Amino acid sequence: MRFEGIWFRYARRADWTLRGVEATVEPGRTVVVLGHNGAGKSTLLQLAVGVLHPGRGVIRDRPRVVGWVPERFPAAQPFTTVDYLRSMSAVRGLPVTAADPWIERLGLGEHVDTPLADLSKGTAQKVGLAQALLAPPGLLVLDEPWEGLDAASRTLVPQIVAEVTGAGGVVLVSDHRGEVAGLPGAIHWTVRDGELHRDATDDPGGGEDDVVVEVAVARREADEAVVRLRASGHRVLGVREKHTPVEDR
Amino acid sequence: MIALTRMRVTGFVRSGRALPPLIAVLAVLSLLYGGGASSASSAYGYSAVMLFPILAWLVKLVLDTEPDVQRRLARLTVGPVREAAAGLLAAALLAGGVCLLAMVAPWPFRGIRGPLAGSTEPPVLTGVLLGVLAHLLALLGALALGALTARVVTRRVLPGVVVLVTGSVLAIVLGLRGSVVPWLVPPVMSTARALGAESAPDAGTLAGLVVHTLLWCAVAFAIYGRLRRGRS
Repeated sequence: MRFEGIWFRYARRADWTLRGVEATVEPGRTVVVLGHNGAGKSTLLQLAVGVLHPGRGVIRDRPRVVGWVPERFPAAQPFTTVDYLRSMSAVRGLPVTAADPWIERLGLGEHVDTPLADLSKGTAQKVGLAQALLAPPGLLVLDEPWEGLDAASRTLVPQIVAEVTGAGGVVLVSDHRGEVAGLPGAIHWTVRDGELHRDATDDPGGGEDDVVVEVAVARREADEAVVRLRASGHRVLGVREKHTPVEDR
Repeated sequence: MIALTRMRVTGFVRSGRALPPLIAVLAVLSLLYGGGASSASSAYGYSAVMLFPILAWLVKLVLDTEPDVQRRLARLTVGPVREAAAGLLAAALLAGGVCLLAMVAPWPFRGIRGPLAGSTEPPVLTGVLLGVLAHLLALLGALALGALTARVVTRRVLPGVVVLVTGSVLAIVLGLRGSVVPWLVPPVMSTARALGAESAPDAGTLAGLVVHTLLWCAVAFAIYGRLRRGRS
């Protein structure tokens, strides 16, 4: 996914919020977007998602299935948790039961019949997370995903991120709470004065001396292996089915 | 798109926002049919005119019910064209329900009578069919006007209300007999005049009203689509 010369402003005569953003994200990578309040993190994420359109420039190779967890989940809707998630499943063309695994995993079981407007901030955030994951996303954009989550739920975010990147997806996360330590191997981007600064130590292109090592792991251990490799500082380029026997080299 | 339409209709009905326009519809129908009976074509022609601003208001309410972020989530899920189409379809279905209510309402109160002896008024069945056409044309025009007043287009509430009120007033004023620019507004007034005449309108008149409505709506929806292109 490539950001090519992205400029954006909210009104024709307003100042540019983002200027000349150039960046590339490889499949299987996590990008943490940092910056102070109002710097343009959410704007960049919404451009990545496609709900905002750049004034200049273009975003190429955006994955087809996009999951977006907005900074504030729109809880002012006359649905219960289960009604909402089932409706969103249907909107995505999925069976209504598609939401059930996420309801269980995110601990939403006791809130299924609670109106969205009555949910706590953290629980509403989980509903936002669930709707973004109904279909396995090729691009997952999380705008301050830890906001309002309790300690137990916070650990879920890195797990989910690892699963998406492990399947070859791209994850963009904004964070101003210092939770990024839970995302080993993530690239850091900082939005400052309308410009995007990439962390020099996290060059996604890798070093010139890099080699690619293909490793086969048991399917049930794939997620854990990806997390371990990233924690060790390696770049996981992707995860694929083992269609053909690998020849000895 | 059908699932999104269903979600939006459900959301609107549950939100309780339907109540004010429904009360307005009942008030209009009471005024229309409370004072006596008239021929079907005449009654339905004026019913369509009086419902026009309420239908446009209803369309605006339907399109504005969903929070902006939820609309963006829907757009992301089904794409911009289907998202916009699902909103218009939800509004059209609900406005269609109001039209159906307006078509049925006069019968229990004997607000419609048969043609007077010796007159050239159309028979009741013809009058009902003309009434269906009149409400359909009013619904299409109101759908287009209501869409142009939606928050996703005007961004703020006040400009949307101004466009809604101005558009509704102009539809009446510029539709009066002798107007020099009747083509600037949907032909709800011309339709009412045609249906209120002593005899049923001929096919040419009806075709002209349909073409006028379709062209006006095509232009309005093109503007809606253009304005929505960069606004999610």
